[in-house]
Amino acid sequence: MTEAALPAPVAAPSVDRERLAAIGFVLPSFVIIAGVFALPLVLLLGVSIVDANGLTFANYKRLLGTPYYLGVVWNSLRLGLLTTLIAFLISYPAAFALARARGALRSVLLATLFLPLAASVIVKAFAWTILLRSDGIVNETLMALGIIEDPIRMIFTETALIVGAANIFLPFMILPIYAIVAQLDRRYAEAAATLGASPIVAFFRVILPLTLPGIIAGVALVFSLSVSAYVVPTLLIGEKYPTLATAIAKAYLLAREPGFGAAAGVVLLAIAIAVVALSARLSREPK
Amino acid sequence: MSEAAPHLVVRSVSKRYGPTTVLDHIDLTIRRGELVTLLGPSGCGKTTLLRAIAGLAQPDTGKVELAGRDITHVPPHKRNVGVVFQSYALFPHLTVAGNIAFGLKVRGAARREIDAAVERALSLVKLGHLAGRRISALSGGQQQRVALARAIAVEPDVLLFDEALSALDRKLREEMQVELRRLLQDVKATAIFVTHDQDEALTMSDRVAVMNKGRIEQLAEPRELYLRPASLFALNFVGLSTRIAGTVLAAGNGKVEVETKVGRLSALGNFQAGSPVIVAARPEQFRIGEQSEANTAAGRVRSVVFQGSRTLVEVDAGAGESLLAELSGRDGAIPVVHDEIRLSWPVTETFAFPMEMQA
Ligand SMILES: Nc1ncnc2c1ncn2[C@@H]1O[C@H](COP(=O)(O)OP(=O)(O)OP(=O)(O)O)[C@@H](O)[C@H]1O
Ligand SMILES: [Mg+2]
Repeated sequence: MTEAALPAPVAAPSVDRERLAAIGFVLPSFVIIAGVFALPLVLLLGVSIVDANGLTFANYKRLLGTPYYLGVVWNSLRLGLLTTLIAFLISYPAAFALARARGALRSVLLATLFLPLAASVIVKAFAWTILLRSDGIVNETLMALGIIEDPIRMIFTETALIVGAANIFLPFMILPIYAIVAQLDRRYAEAAATLGASPIVAFFRVILPLTLPGIIAGVALVFSLSVSAYVVPTLLIGEKYPTLATAIAKAYLLAREPGFGAAAGVVLLAIAIAVVALSARLSREPK
Repeated sequence: MSEAAPHLVVRSVSKRYGPTTVLDHIDLTIRRGELVTLLGPSGCGKTTLLRAIAGLAQPDTGKVELAGRDITHVPPHKRNVGVVFQSYALFPHLTVAGNIAFGLKVRGAARREIDAAVERALSLVKLGHLAGRRISALSGGQQQRVALARAIAVEPDVLLFDEALSALDRKLREEMQVELRRLLQDVKATAIFVTHDQDEALTMSDRVAVMNKGRIEQLAEPRELYLRPASLFALNFVGLSTRIAGTVLAAGNGKVEVETKVGRLSALGNFQAGSPVIVAARPEQFRIGEQSEANTAAGRVRSVVFQGSRTLVEVDAGAGESLLAELSGRDGAIPVVHDEIRLSWPVTETFAFPMEMQA
């Protein structure tokens, strides 16, 4: 009929229009992301490699070429890795316990995880100092019980730092693992058992691989939080454990070396991005 | 036959969850190479019985023996019982071949042995070309086959299927029923199927156990189950039937005379006079007209359903009772709706069941 005689490429403009509409929808958020996140990063990078005399890598040479600052980088990495490790060791079984818990118990446990998120990191770090200092609750209790005679030095040690950081960032490890474990079908473990796998073998060959995405998400979160933590090391250990985050603060606030601070920021960012990218890669690729 | 020795013995197994008795002193003996179906309504305890056999649920009382071994307290991974779950429970982080190899790997089999077994299992279920596929990239029917291959690869002493075919569409399910039966017979597997689909039960099994409320009401070959149901429940659950309520007038010699609303009927059964009973017969026993040694009743044809080789005729016998007859059309004309007809059926194919057992 008459429609049949119409020129064929009627559909083509509509496809373009769809495309255009899609771009139109995405554009505002793209602009926001570019303006709020990407642009400052570009500026940061710029500040770190440009000084009054033009292009320079002096800031990076100082950061990665002097033993003192290499130690600072190492401290940050150490803080990130150890905190992540401790948080993982506590969170993995905790996530299973949480998933097994029923009714009121589960609600209470979830609340104890979520509520601390509402409190500032400063408050939590300060709470740890109250617990751990020489006249703090832990030492007083141990002395009152006669277990020790003199207070043990706990605050301002690396152990205190790691324990405190692991505690403060714990929810970010438990929750992603819990989300996976809660979804895990009990039949997987049962199928493994009927195929001859002992509980331990079933754990390593089935449960652990199936919960890996949760672990990877938790590790990425806790590592990026703890490697860049500023308040926690400042309050729990202070000057003698300089990290990239505290070095950045010093560069900007005390030394007035924005170029050096920016370089430290870029290095810190590179470490975090490397870990997140690696974990994204691990969670995508099945063995 | 030497294969007639008991292979799986369930002895007086009971299981309670809270106040409900889910398994009530179950006894079940299965021979090597036998295919047995547990048939029953939802919630009657079929899955629980399978789980008790697999070691995934601990019975409160009773014993389970497999291949001459008391496995009542053996953990599931040491039982050598294969399970095909309704949801298949295939490991999503492993490939098809990885899933099938799993059982042998955890048993520490040699690499070459594993490869050979995987290949054999894959070719049995005709999935050789999909060995490297991810589970998420398989259709429902293919997943079903992988689950089967994974279970048989370890050569379990008994294979348990919990509604393993119910997720498939009707046509595929019917194909798989036939194929699965042939395959299991080929590998000489002993297997228990759980289903609430009576056709599946009759197609797949050497014997059918009809379960009701945690008990096995009848364990019989499909043909016997159909022709000689042991209870009203079994009669209702498998196949169609005519059922008429009445009261026993006289009894003796394994026969009863029953007064019903459609007249006096004779049936097989042992009851005391005065007992309320249900008299029942299968539709294909009915003929139009009289025959000797037969019950008879008359009525008006309510519906005629043509089903190819046979025709189902429902007759309103008055007083709220109806008769269901299956006529082949060979022995006479098929009536039409509103015809007044008289039907007869042999006394020896008429059964009386106690009224209170009605499910
Ligand atoms: N873990 C459990 N805790 C409490 N009750 C249970 C548990 N498992 C099963 N039951 C109960 O036991 C009864 C039998 O359950 P089962 O799963 O064996 O039934 P089924 O015959 O397999 O039914 P379906 O055909 O619906 O699968 C049901 O009433 C069920 O609610
Ligand atoms: Mg079930």
